[in-house]
Parts: sequence; C-alpha cells; structure tokens
Amino acid sequence: MTLLKRNRNPMTAFALVSLLLFAGCSASAGSSAESGSASASAEPGRSAASQAPISGGDLTYGLATSPDSLDPHVSGLDVASRVFRSIYDSLVFLTEDNQIKPWLASEWSVSPDGKRYTFKLRQDVKFHDGTPFNAEAVKKNFDRIVDPSTEASIALSYLTQYESSEVVDPYTVRFNLKKPSAAFLRNLSQPSLAIVSPTAAEKYGKQLGQHPVGTGPFRFVKWEENSEIKLERNPDYNWAPDAFDNQGKPYLDTVTFKIIPEEATRIGSLQSGQVLAIETVPAQNVAALKNDSRFTIASHDALGLPFALFINERQAPWNDLKARQALQLGIDVDAIVKTLYFGVYKRAWSPLAPGTFGYDPALENGIQSDKEKAKRLLDELGWKPGKDGIREKDGKKLTIRYVESIPNKDKKQDIAAIVQQQLKEIGVAVELHFTKDVSQVVLMDHAYELFGGGTAGLDPSALTTFYHTHGLTGWPSLSGFDDPKLDELLERGETELDDAKRLEIYQEAQHYIVDHAVTIPIYVSPSISAVSKKVENLKYDALGYLLLHDTTVRN
Amino acid sequence: MRQETALTRWIGRERIARGRKPSAARRGGTQRLLLYGAAAVVIYFLACAIVPQWLAPFPPMEMRMDRSLLPPGPSHWFGTDYYGRDLYSVVVYGSRQSLLVGIASVLAGGLSGALLGAVSGYAGGLVDAVIMRAVDVLMTVPGLLLALAVAAALGPGRWNIVLAVAVASVPGYARVMRGQILSVKVRPYVRASASIGASPSRVFWTHVLPNSLSPLYVMSTLGIGASILAGSGLSFLGLGDWNASPDWGAILSQGRGYMTVAWWISAFPGFAITAFVLSVNLYGDWLRDFLDPKKNARGK
Repeated sequence: MTLLKRNRNPMTAFALVSLLLFAGCSASAGSSAESGSASASAEPGRSAASQAPISGGDLTYGLATSPDSLDPHVSGLDVASRVFRSIYDSLVFLTEDNQIKPWLASEWSVSPDGKRYTFKLRQDVKFHDGTPFNAEAVKKNFDRIVDPSTEASIALSYLTQYESSEVVDPYTVRFNLKKPSAAFLRNLSQPSLAIVSPTAAEKYGKQLGQHPVGTGPFRFVKWEENSEIKLERNPDYNWAPDAFDNQGKPYLDTVTFKIIPEEATRIGSLQSGQVLAIETVPAQNVAALKNDSRFTIASHDALGLPFALFINERQAPWNDLKARQALQLGIDVDAIVKTLYFGVYKRAWSPLAPGTFGYDPALENGIQSDKEKAKRLLDELGWKPGKDGIREKDGKKLTIRYVESIPNKDKKQDIAAIVQQQLKEIGVAVELHFTKDVSQVVLMDHAYELFGGGTAGLDPSALTTFYHTHGLTGWPSLSGFDDPKLDELLERGETELDDAKRLEIYQEAQHYIVDHAVTIPIYVSPSISAVSKKVENLKYDALGYLLLHDTTVRN
Repeated sequence: MRQETALTRWIGRERIARGRKPSAARRGGTQRLLLYGAAAVVIYFLACAIVPQWLAPFPPMEMRMDRSLLPPGPSHWFGTDYYGRDLYSVVVYGSRQSLLVGIASVLAGGLSGALLGAVSGYAGGLVDAVIMRAVDVLMTVPGLLLALAVAAALGPGRWNIVLAVAVASVPGYARVMRGQILSVKVRPYVRASASIGASPSRVFWTHVLPNSLSPLYVMSTLGIGASILAGSGLSFLGLGDWNASPDWGAILSQGRGYMTVAWWISAFPGFAITAFVLSVNLYGDWLRDFLDPKKNARGK
C-alpha cells in the first residue's frame, strides 16, 4: 500500500488499481499492467509482446562471508560489493562486453591533454534520504575518498592520478588529474567508486558502512550481524542504465542476503529452497548442481589479475632468473588446476586475466612444466641434491616458505600442499606457513619466498600495484622485482591514452613478466553462483556483481 | 546416619547380587569377545603408528593426479582423495599423528594434573586452597574452548595441539587425584604408619600415593580416547601441522567439502577415530572393573 501512496502519477495509480482488480483473473493481465507503470508506458508494445515480468517477492541470496562494511569507499571485499551494488549507483556503467555507458552521468567529455574530465549529471536523481543528487554531492564523494581519515582502501587505488574535482554548475562536475589516466573513466564504474549520500556521510561518518544511503534501486533496511542484510525497493528509482529492460523501480519487493559461511550448508540451503541463489559454489559441486533441473549455474571469470604465485626476489637465490625459472618449470599448474577445480576454473597463463584490456592470448600454452629442465637449472646454480633429496649449497638447504592465509579459501591451501609435493620432486623443500596475519608476514616482514595473490580489476593498470617496484599506492610489490624496464612500461601504460599503443605496452609487460619468471599464474578466479529457476533475469556486470533491476521471482 | 548406612549396605548387596550372575555369563561371552576385538583394534592402530611403512601400500604424500577421487576398491581400499593420494595409506600414517596427540597429551595433562592434585591434597591448608582455586578457574572454561584458546594463542602445530589438549585436561586429573589423596590419607593404616614414626614423605610414597592411583589409570585410559577426539577436533579446525602427513581430524576436515562427491574421504578417518576411541573406552571400562576391589572380579 505504501507503493500506492508514493506514486503521484495518476496513470501509474490507475495501472496499479487495475492490477488489484484483475489480480485474480490471470497473471499476464496483472503483470503487463505493472510493467506498464514501471517503464513509464514508453514502449507499450514491448512489454505486451515479451513475457511480462512479475512484480513483488523477496529474493534470498546466500553469501559466503559477512561484508566488513557497506561503505563502498571503505570496503574492498567482493562480498560487500555484491550487496552494495544494489544500494548505490556509479557515474558510469560498464556493460558485460566492456562498453562504457551513461548512468548517473548522462554525458562526458575529456580535454585534449587527457587531464580534465567533465561530466554532465542526471537532474532527476535523489538519494534514499531525500538529498538531491548533483555536482556538489559528487564532489563531496571524491573529497571523502581521498581524505585520509576515511581510510579508503581499494577505492583510493583507482584514483592514483586523481587530483581534485570542481563544481562547474549545479549539474556539471569536473575532475582534474595529475597525469592522463586511461583507466580513470572505466574505474568510475567500479562499485568502490559508487556515490553515497553526502548528508548520510556527514551524519554517520565512519559508521556509514552500517547505515548505507545511496541512489540505488534498493534501500537499506537492516543488517543483523553474521545473519542477514535486508534491502527493500526504492520506489522512486527511475535512472537505471539503458542496458536494462527496466529503467524504473525494481520488480522485487525486498532482497535478503543471508550469510552462510559453511559451503555444505549454503548448498543445502539452496537445495531445500531456503535461499533462491548462492554465491561461491565450490568447483566440486558445480557438476551436480548443473545436472539438477531446478537450478542454473552462472559463472563469471573475474577481470584483472588472476591468482598467481609471487616469488619473493628479496630472498636469495630467488633474485636469480635461473632459480625462478626452475620454480616456473617445476610447478605443474595444469595438474593443480585440474585436480582442485575439475575444469571449472580456467588455468591462467598471463599476469592478466583473459578479457581484461591488454590481455595477450599469445601467452597461452607457452610455459609447460618440465621437471628435468628445472633440475638442470638448479644444478647449474650449484644446488646439488643432499642425502634426503633436498638440494644443498654451502651447507644450506634449498627451502621455500610458502605463506597462505587461514581459513582455506578457494582451496588455496590445497594449492600450497600440491606445490609442496611437486617441488620436492625437483629437490626444493617447501615449508607451509598458514597464518591469519598475512599482511604482517607478507607486506611488513617479507618473510616468504612464495605467496599467492590476485585481484579483480577492470583495467590492466592493476598490474602496477602488484609489479611496480614501488607499487605507486605505497604498498611494496609482492615480487620485490626491482626492474627499471618493467617499471617504465607500467608507468607508460598508466598514462598512454591511445588504445592501440597501450595494448602494445601491456602485451610487452606481460611477456616481460612471464619471461623473467616474476610470478607463476595459476588460475582465473571465477565467481560462480547457483540460482533457482524461479528467479529470472538475474544480471551481472563486467566484474560479475549482481544487478537486480530486471530480476523477478516466480512462486 | 544409621538409616543411610543401612541404605548403602542394601544397595551394595543388591548390586553385588544383580551384578554377579549376568556378569559372569557376559564376561565369558560377548564381553570377552568385545575385549578381544578392542585389543585387536588398539594393537593394529599402535602398529600403524609405529611402523606405518609396513602397513601402508603407498607413500602417504604421493599425489597422483591421474587417480584422484577414486571410490573404494580392490587397488585402493579406502579410495583416493582429491590429491590422488591413497586414502588407506593416509589414514595409516595419520594414526601416528593422532595417537601421538592422544598419548602425549594424556601423559602431559595426567602427570601435571596428578602432581597438582597430590600436592594439594596431601599438603592441605593454604597450598590446597591456592591450587584448587586455580584449578577451579581453569574448570570454568569448557575444555574444548580452553584448548581452542591455547591453540589460537600459540598458532598451528602438532605440539601446540598436544599442549592445548593437555592444559584442558589438567583440572579433571587434579580434582580426582586430590579427592583420592584426601580419602586415603585418613585411612587407619595410613594413620597407623604415621603413628609408629614414619616420616610424612615415607607415608606419602609407600602408602598414600600407590593407593590413590587406580582411578587415575582408568581416567587416563579413557582420556586417550577423549584427547584423540579433541586433537582431531582442533586439527579439523585447521590448527594442525600442515607440513607433516595429516592426522585423522585433518583428513576429515579436508573431505568435508567433498561429502556429496566423495564421501569416503571423510568417512574412513571418521571410522578410524570411532573404532580407536571406542576400543580404548572399552578397555577403560574393563580396567575400572578390574581395579575396583568391590567388584572383586580379580579373584574369580
């Protein structure tokens, strides 16, 4: 009934009344009236012709972990992005095939030197708390992200070249960059750079993560710690990107994210109908769910950097290319990926994930495991097998500390266990260090020789964070690879605006990384969800995050 | 008081009368058979722990990707896990880790608990009060939670699990030992010994201690089973040693995500835990009967 009260448009009200009247007659009559009201009757032909969507219902979705915060500027967790994607909108929208489209910004222009971006904003948008959306709000958002007291994480790494923003007129905002940045526009579509209500940000400060207020299709209702997060329809919503069939308010009444960390329980909840969709389906369960006619499996390979093992070159002998190549040849990546992920995860060949701008498919099937050659390389370096089969040199055993985090996420600890066995065959002892305190051990103490990592990203400039000697964001690079040539390539890639030239730079950088055995790419991490067939039109963006504008639930 | 004694006597008589007849039959039949079975299981797992290389058909850490997730069959009795390891061999080698945790933590926990209890009970007074209050504090924390806290503070590792389980079992041993000492030290023969001039330490070593130990034997036998369970629980939670071959709890945990795909990974280490703990408990029960003078089974 709140729905009726809030709709001031008499046509819509009429459509809803007719919906109520005909509710008992037939589903198609009722829902066509509803969809007419939703898409503002602009295309009556379309909604009548296609199967008309059903309004109402609750979408229950099982999350694998609890989000840390629903403040997009603060949280960098995938699981949090999955939730706040529905609460917040971004300035631009990135389609699944990597096209940049208008969203909260209706159009934009770039100055010839590539350092000034001017955005014209939509004028009909307002936040859930009634605050109007305008250039001032956008400026406040970006000021907030770069303000050190916000403690922004991932969001800040997308703004490495950002300098300032200014309000040109109430609905025009301009961003000034320090250097031209090819990644800037694409990164604006990231959920981490979504626009929050400046009123709420001021009111709640750091607590915004518990009281999220945005312009998105759903409003925040409540968050029960470690149990569930509930959202309800934003009845005023009328500014979805063109990529959706439904630009108006979403069809679903509510969305409930249930937090179900245990894998078996999560799958059980889906099978028993307690939730309608779940994320992070383990590879070994995919086949069974695929064969079940009640569910569909949706898998999206993440863009950005695949999961790769970084060899820490601060520790001898790994500063030597031959030693690193021995590891590169000694680890049988195919065997790891096939054994643990049953062909559900793809093997990675490059430090970039397929589909990311700049990815070079020529690297595929390049490096093949060759244990004999690996042994020869270590022999050449003077590491000879000792009595127990472990190589020694000057009385020192060839030992690697392999650091991985607790708990065992995505079977990464199992990768470590297999690597341990594989490297034993070439005479390298691997000690497994599983710790909760990865950032201390890896980033502060550098107490590792092997550490696996990867990140989702839309742009190859993500390579800079992991491979540039100084990391640009202030983090030390994971490989400790100190190479002016690679640094120069990565810096040029950041600022080059010509796509063709940029492609060339990043392809060279990828080959350089692989040829110098800086890392060993393992797998392209997909986000796999299983969805009940009762749910229709669940969509995903380029990063595999949920988009619920068109989604309907059948009973 | 008089009434109570009469009641106790009656219960005692009843128990003896009821207990004897069927128990005589049982001891000869099912019970004996069970005991032999339990002995076989315990001996088998001890052998597994001592000489696993004689009993395991494959090296436990040999990963062969071409044979991963095979169901139980003639070539792999327990099937294979997702690494392509022979699960039977992994379980055989795992018994070494599990039994080590069980026995070592009982030794450590039992000895220190007994020591605390003995000192406390025999010394009495302020010493008793201090030690027992400390033990009481330890007791307020549930055993597994205490073990979990210790393991979390010390980090993963086999010896940390031993320590964690041992610490959690100390209060139980200390309490029992203290109670035993208290009841033994006031018995007439102990007093007699003291009255003819035996020194307190002589009284303690020759009379009090030997006569206080039998419940502790029973308790520690039963404790081995409980410790293996607790140790398995901790390594199930990921607090075990990742560089050694996995113990039963760790294998169980590894198979957890595969229950619907490959039930055998979790099932067989689970059976191993059940079989061993059950056998040890049967022995504990038998030992209790055997050492209990009231049951008087020794003479018959």
